[in-house]
Amino acid sequence: MLSELLQGIESGGFLIIRDSCSYSGRDLLKSFITAALNREEVIHVLCFDVSEEELKDGLKPSDTQRLHIHNAYSDPLGWTGHPNFTAQQFSLEDLTNLVKQTSHPKPAVLVIDSLSWILRHKTPPAVCQTLQQLRKGGAVRAVIGLLHTDMHQRGTVGSVCHLATSLISVAPGVKGKEAVARVTKRSKSGKVMQDEEIFCIAEDFTVTILSKASHAEHKTNSTEEEQADPTANLTFNLRLSDSELEAKQKLTLPFVFSKEKKTALLHPGPGSGRILYEPDANDDYDQEDPDDDLDV
Amino acid sequence: MAAPMNSVGKTSADRLQANCTSFQKKTRSKLISIPGTRPSVQNGQLLVSTGVTSLDYLLGGGLAVGTVLLIEEDRFDSYSRMILKYFLAEGVVCQHELFVATAQDNPDEILQELPAPILDDVAVPKPVEQPRPTGEPQDSLDAMTIAWRYQNLPKVQSALASSSRFGHYYDVSKTMEAEIRQAAKCHRFYLPDHITPSSAAHSARVESYSALLKSLQEVIHREGFDLATPMSKSRNILRVGLHSLGSALWGDDLCCHDKPRHSHALTTFLYGLRALLRSSLSVAVVTLPSHLIQDRALMGNITRLCDNAIALESFKGSERETNPLYKDYHGLLFVRQVPHLNCLARQLPDHKDLAFKLKRKQFTIERLHLPPDLSDTASRVSRGEPVGVASACGSGASGTKNLDF
Repeated sequence: MLSELLQGIESGGFLIIRDSCSYSGRDLLKSFITAALNREEVIHVLCFDVSEEELKDGLKPSDTQRLHIHNAYSDPLGWTGHPNFTAQQFSLEDLTNLVKQTSHPKPAVLVIDSLSWILRHKTPPAVCQTLQQLRKGGAVRAVIGLLHTDMHQRGTVGSVCHLATSLISVAPGVKGKEAVARVTKRSKSGKVMQDEEIFCIAEDFTVTILSKASHAEHKTNSTEEEQADPTANLTFNLRLSDSELEAKQKLTLPFVFSKEKKTALLHPGPGSGRILYEPDANDDYDQEDPDDDLDV
Repeated sequence: MAAPMNSVGKTSADRLQANCTSFQKKTRSKLISIPGTRPSVQNGQLLVSTGVTSLDYLLGGGLAVGTVLLIEEDRFDSYSRMILKYFLAEGVVCQHELFVATAQDNPDEILQELPAPILDDVAVPKPVEQPRPTGEPQDSLDAMTIAWRYQNLPKVQSALASSSRFGHYYDVSKTMEAEIRQAAKCHRFYLPDHITPSSAAHSARVESYSALLKSLQEVIHREGFDLATPMSKSRNILRVGLHSLGSALWGDDLCCHDKPRHSHALTTFLYGLRALLRSSLSVAVVTLPSHLIQDRALMGNITRLCDNAIALESFKGSERETNPLYKDYHGLLFVRQVPHLNCLARQLPDHKDLAFKLKRKQFTIERLHLPPDLSDTASRVSRGEPVGVASACGSGASGTKNLDF
């Protein structure tokens, strides 16, 4: 499912890559950027965590015309007089203006690196509302965000991820360059698909999916234990031979009725004791009004 | 010889729907008769159906008019949304009025996804204890040779059903046709239309809930649900559906922080909502993403402020998905609270272990029962304990083998 997401996010989609300090999700984010650039899409990147050079490092220089990086790394809170992009500018109007500045016919994809920075300086409800409006508004086609889960409270991470249509949680894998990705995708109809894959990222940010991770390790342990057969190794015979089986089935037990009697007992036919009653005037008896003469 | 008067009256009222008797008890009816409602057999409250017949059974016959049903959402909000849609679809079919309030998706999106009712009412799930047709006695008799008298009885009474059917059945694979939907009057409240987010961010209080309450009060008063207008006008019920209250999109940080700043905003709203509902002919269903709320005391407060409360837990994505015990079901359902309205005791359901399953034509809630034969390798799971815990204690399955006795 990771490869499907790399090939394209549907319009109005919101993808969140959740990482932690044990494995950084920035490489995966850059592979999403690379894949989108290869598809001739326009990308706007809000760059909070790392510098612009570090983000562009490794991306092909020919694609940079469609890639617009807004440097929020050097001055995110506007301490110098003339900041490029600040955390306070993360609102619907400012972002819409920002994206519209580079006038392209197609709506762009907005990549946010990272959401954690914004969540530290704006309240989570405000951030959630802005993200929801960005998705619905139509100014951007899709939003991809990177979220560091160990920087926030569980409720904050949960609230932001609740809005996402696709969620990728990355964790370090067993062997060197591999990593495990748990992908959850919610479709429009409400169907939820989940998958767990092992992947590794090459130098040019192409992702190779190695295999599906196997959960079944603890399950196979339990099925390996053989059932002990209690009927083996006994001094007496508990099994039946074929002729003995036949004889057993031919034996008629006492108190076994014939089929006709059984059906007669199980399905009582009509007329074998039904009570037909038509209610008459005497049944119209009101206990609170026995003589039927109260006029209330 | 004749049965006592009260029980005859009650059973005839229940059986009137099937029209097998022409008996009419002579009473002056003090209850208002509104289509789609019926009086409760336990305490005489006016009940409406939630749209899911098994849920009606759990709540004591239906949802009492003037109460709130709280649904704690499952992780991906699939089944709680489904129950909300059933509730609204039942309102359309019974010709009640609807009020839908959302912050995430437009209310029209929810209204367009309502399931189609099965109008010819043939799809009554056949109870298992119906006798087999006489055309095929052979197969049924061969099933048991010794205990043949018990052949036609069901193996386990797992489906929850009451004797008289109240609600309707819906086909989830089809959406309700536009004519039926537009015949019902629907009031919408979409939060971004009412509150501009920039003003909300700077305010000290959570404005969204008071705006919602004001809008609801205005609708109730304008449409005459609050019994202020005289009795001549025919009465109707207002069904209020509030989707995902308390989430971050309502401007509330209840789900975001461990110690929310506005912890009383939602509880005040629920208090006001209940007061509004008690004085009008309306019923509300509120869904809440409780899995995001970290403060359990607050969750307890919220549960107390709503009359009925159920919680859904879906197996999708959790380690319980692969447990063989749960393979027939889609999730667990917990009844957190059932109200006692005008009486001393609550009518709690007998069975605490309930599981639900969403089939195409029905949302069934069944009792979860342990199968009688458990081999050594299957582990008994008690309610609330994840399967993974048992195997983490020891090394793999040998740990469970030693603990299982």
